[in-house]
Amino acid sequence: MSSDQVATGVINLSEGDSSLANEIKELGGEELMECIQCAKCAAACPMVLAGFPFFNKRIIQAIFLGLRDALLDDSSIWACQSCNRCTEVCPREVNPFEIIQAMRRVAIREFALPTLSIEGLKSLYDTGHAVYLAGAGNTRAKVGLPEKPPSTVANPEALKELQAVIRKTALADLGIIPMDESGVKETCEV
Amino acid sequence: MKVGFFVGCNTAFNRPDLEQAVRYAFPALGIELDNLEGQSCCPSWGTMPSVDVVGWCAVGARNHTIAEEKGLDIVTVCGSCYGSLAESKYKMDTHPEIKAQVNEILKDIGREYKGTSNVRLAFYYLYHELGPDKIKEAVKHKLDGLTVALQPGCHTLWPSKVYYDKEEDPFHPKVLKEMCEALGATVGHYTRLIDCCGMGAMRSTDMEKSLKLVEKKLISMKNEVNPDLIVTGCSSCLIQFDTAQELLRSGKKINFEIPVLHIMQVLALCLGADPERVTGLAKTDVRRVVNRILEGL
Ligand code: SF4
Ligand code: SF4
Repeated sequence: MSSDQVATGVINLSEGDSSLANEIKELGGEELMECIQCAKCAAACPMVLAGFPFFNKRIIQAIFLGLRDALLDDSSIWACQSCNRCTEVCPREVNPFEIIQAMRRVAIREFALPTLSIEGLKSLYDTGHAVYLAGAGNTRAKVGLPEKPPSTVANPEALKELQAVIRKTALADLGIIPMDESGVKETCEV
Repeated sequence: MKVGFFVGCNTAFNRPDLEQAVRYAFPALGIELDNLEGQSCCPSWGTMPSVDVVGWCAVGARNHTIAEEKGLDIVTVCGSCYGSLAESKYKMDTHPEIKAQVNEILKDIGREYKGTSNVRLAFYYLYHELGPDKIKEAVKHKLDGLTVALQPGCHTLWPSKVYYDKEEDPFHPKVLKEMCEALGATVGHYTRLIDCCGMGAMRSTDMEKSLKLVEKKLISMKNEVNPDLIVTGCSSCLIQFDTAQELLRSGKKINFEIPVLHIMQVLALCLGADPERVTGLAKTDVRRVVNRILEGL
């Protein structure tokens, strides 16, 4: 499906990909098929207010229609605020937020993820923090705190533990970030 | 009383003055803080949760076990940490197969997730464990004469099923309001009270759209409440409201500035903390409102 078709709302059903729904169910979106497209979730969603082309209800609709490329070519799934207003209001307990996360999981398996997510994952692995500012030591000292918080950054053993955990997760199998000792990033703001 | 302080990334690196506020306020109210040594990122939404459920829960579980070993609940001031940790706990507690897979991973590092520690947001914890009256008795300074607008924060409210501390109705939140009123403030209602501020994944994905949301909120606050101060319940909201106003002013979208503090910073000030330590990193000009609080003018 081309982006023109998305923009004009014309959907070519014959291009649909029926494997997408199954993948979503396997990656955490078990309740997908419960959705009745009532759009209560859309009425509560900040992505709608901000003007993103895809949001909970439309993402689910696109998954039903198998519009994999339309979802992968657009940044909307990465703008979801994880706020769970949709989960709260959904009358069918679909957990729309989890379906968007599952769609991100599909995208990641096709290496269609934003640079910031890659950097966040790398920073998480290297420092234990997805958001990490190398220069924060000065700021912390300024307000009377030790330069490092009592986290993995001040505790090499804890960082090793965390890395051992991450190496046993799907992230390691996907090979999205290098998991060797080198290349610690200076700063990462996700 | 003792509780584990989960400091998270943004608070530790971007707003350590908020960290300092927590480190001041809890002991001042008679609650000891444990550092949960070796804690990591919660993990945040754009990282492990976007890769797979078990990996998300495994990184979360490692954090949970640090608190479990000490027999402590976890408190945080960050909505994202609160949401991610509470959701990973909920998933593991309600899905034995997820918990089993996570514990298989944790076995290698000699840990086991049991599910014995609760995840609490700092101000809910104080509200439920001490209550507004006790807090009122403990403060040296009050917010008398100040009008505030609130920003509770998405993750402090939804999804209510995963949280230990619940609002009676998360679409009409009361706790932050009652806390501010107990401290003496007048709390104004505005139409966009429970809207999202646009911080987080949206801001990383599309700055312009993110700013549009915070602009709508600020204008609603200004027109309907005209507050002396914005009080947030979440560290991410704090960063968004504190940094976006200058961007919106330079883009000619707004022509005002409202000082912004997190509820724990306000509380620390009221309990007698050094303002430089607990509010010193604000980008909005908070000096006047801080002086009003300290001098009771
Ligand atoms: S996810 Fe729930 S609220 Fe949204 S359209 Fe489907 S059934 Fe309705
Ligand atoms: S979690 Fe995502 S999809 Fe659901 S309401 Fe929030 S922003 Fe919208």
